[in-house]
Amino acid sequence: MSFAIKSNVKDAADGGKVATINLEGELDSLSARLFQKEIEKVAMESPKDLVLDMEKLSFMASAGLRVLIFSKQKIGSALNIYLVKPQQPIVDTLEHTGLLHSVSVVDKYPG
Amino acid sequence: MHSKTFPGTVESIDSIRHYIADIAQSAGLDKKASYNLKLAVDEIATNIVLYGYEEPGLEGNIDVLHEQTDEALTVVFEDTSAPFDPLARELPDEEDLAKPLEERKIGGLGIFLTVKGVDDFSYERVEGKNRNIFKMLLAT
Repeated sequence: MSFAIKSNVKDAADGGKVATINLEGELDSLSARLFQKEIEKVAMESPKDLVLDMEKLSFMASAGLRVLIFSKQKIGSALNIYLVKPQQPIVDTLEHTGLLHSVSVVDKYPG
Repeated sequence: MHSKTFPGTVESIDSIRHYIADIAQSAGLDKKASYNLKLAVDEIATNIVLYGYEEPGLEGNIDVLHEQTDEALTVVFEDTSAPFDPLARELPDEEDLAKPLEERKIGGLGIFLTVKGVDDFSYERVEGKNRNIFKMLLAT
């Protein structure tokens, strides 16, 4: 199955930490388990911003949405979630499920 | 109807999705409709595998049937797990969907996306089988 994920956590210029996760391929219920593990890993560093690079993510099922919800609940409500260049069908899914207003869709992480 | 059988395992979910993507493409569905159908079948196949077969420890198949007419492409999933009507469950309403992430309940989104993404979704229990039926209208 075509799914790839990698993450890193860096110090932000203004203090705090930024977790960046690159998602590629198809995010279904199986790959969402890997996504959740990665969130659990970066959560230990208590980042203030979570940056999800989605430019090469071509599919996202509801299991992926559940991980987004999980990340906010795990890391805390002050967490900012940035989605970098999500593809249109994924933006549509976020919109239909009311999740779009809880994230920032950007071309580039502003930090 | 054309028919193809997949084992009811997590590995099949990916294969079913790609099989349906090919069918959607040959039927001439546009990009958006194809994606929505793919998303809908993924959600239902996931439910059948995880909750119909894996959780109770059952083995079984998912038969994927499809038929195309001038008006519509119809895809049917048949499985032999316990009766489960996805539509019997309460779907998130406007109020649920407006809640901030930290207050969200985690379930119900998959079936919501299924119903929203296809032109018609229905369920029936026939001869000991669950039948999940997805219909996409074709541009005439």
